[in-house]
Amino acid sequence: MSAVFTVDPRSGVPLYLQLIEQVKRAVALGTLAAGEQLPTVKALAVDLTVNPNTVARAYRELERDRVIETSPGRGSFVRSGDGALDGRRAIEDIGASVLGGAVREARSLGLEREAVSKIFERALERWYAGSSPEDT
Amino acid sequence: MNAITIDRLTKHYGTQAAVEDLSLDVAEGSVCGLLGPNGAGKTTTFKCLLGLAHATSGSVTVDGAPVTPATFETLAFVPEKSALYEWMTVGDHFRLARLAYKNYDPARAAELAALFKLDSRKKIGRLSKGQQTAVAIVLAFAIRPRILILDEPASGLDPIYQRVVLDLVIDAAAGGATVLFSSHQIGQVERAADRIAILKNGRLVLDGDLDTLKGDEKIVEAVFDGPAVAPNGLASDARVRRIEQNGRILRAYVRSGSAEFASRLEELGPKAVSVYDLSLEDIFLGAVADAAPASGEAT
Repeated sequence: MSAVFTVDPRSGVPLYLQLIEQVKRAVALGTLAAGEQLPTVKALAVDLTVNPNTVARAYRELERDRVIETSPGRGSFVRSGDGALDGRRAIEDIGASVLGGAVREARSLGLEREAVSKIFERALERWYAGSSPEDT
Repeated sequence: MNAITIDRLTKHYGTQAAVEDLSLDVAEGSVCGLLGPNGAGKTTTFKCLLGLAHATSGSVTVDGAPVTPATFETLAFVPEKSALYEWMTVGDHFRLARLAYKNYDPARAAELAALFKLDSRKKIGRLSKGQQTAVAIVLAFAIRPRILILDEPASGLDPIYQRVVLDLVIDAAAGGATVLFSSHQIGQVERAADRIAILKNGRLVLDGDLDTLKGDEKIVEAVFDGPAVAPNGLASDARVRRIEQNGRILRAYVRSGSAEFASRLEELGPKAVSVYDLSLEDIFLGAVADAAPASGEAT
């Protein structure tokens, strides 16, 4: 397996959600390729030292979200769908969740919308320098 | 199917109530972490469950039936206080277990003893507390039990061997075993358990699926320009466990519905409202905290 998962059991974020997010991210980034086999529930639980039912729950939800498919006796595999599209959507989801959290945090610090917007623009300029719409 | 069913268990020692009206089911294949301050009733619960103490009222069943000697062919128990014979060697205990338990697997015992670097020639009385715990753990896992009851299994062990015990619990759970264990090591419970039960003064104060609890239990914090004052009725909101006020900060521990509760706080016109996740330690401390007087540090 090329993807390596890590979870933080002490976090307030439910473990199964941490795992789901990591698998989705690995699929989006291509570290887990379509058709690639995931570790068994038991192997991953032992590897991460976490409860096996929690890992099983993450796998069930990933299956429901059509990220992986499980065939009895063979194991769980990354679904081969429209990989490029699914990957793009997954990356956008992760981006939206990270940026959403940051905006929430900024608001809870008491920053006004205008101030957040300015900070955001500056960040865009710094990290997307040379690729802004005006330049192209 | 429930592997363990505790139904309205009450145990009094004289006039002292050790366990009061405790009901707890542990589903087959689940790992349930029993948490509570010292004297909360964890050990008494285990004793009643195993028939080592008579319940004052209520009932306990394992696999749907009362506990009998036959139960112990597939159920292993590691007590908090060593039940080993000080004058016997480690090896004597292994031989005794081989005679006493049908399912005892000597090869497995040898493998586990090596994990803990146990010397089978040593007398129990010459072992450290941690090594004695290790012997009890080896004996428990060597019968490849379907149900494991562990009372403070990390007791006296250093962090490396605590991890070995944790690995054994997870390995057993992955093989379908049901585990009920108590521990003060919240980090261990957080890894191994999928289910949490918290006792306080002999009563169950919180019980649920660990990931669901983490998803539901939140701190909602509002910061005001002036002194924070909780309006009447806020503390009696069904979502609220408790409310703390400290100067300009109002902090509510909610059991669910944090987003809706945050909106309710927004209406009070604070400078900012934030929602924080809670670790199991936070959830535990919140559940066993004595109801703090609402005045305290307020104003």
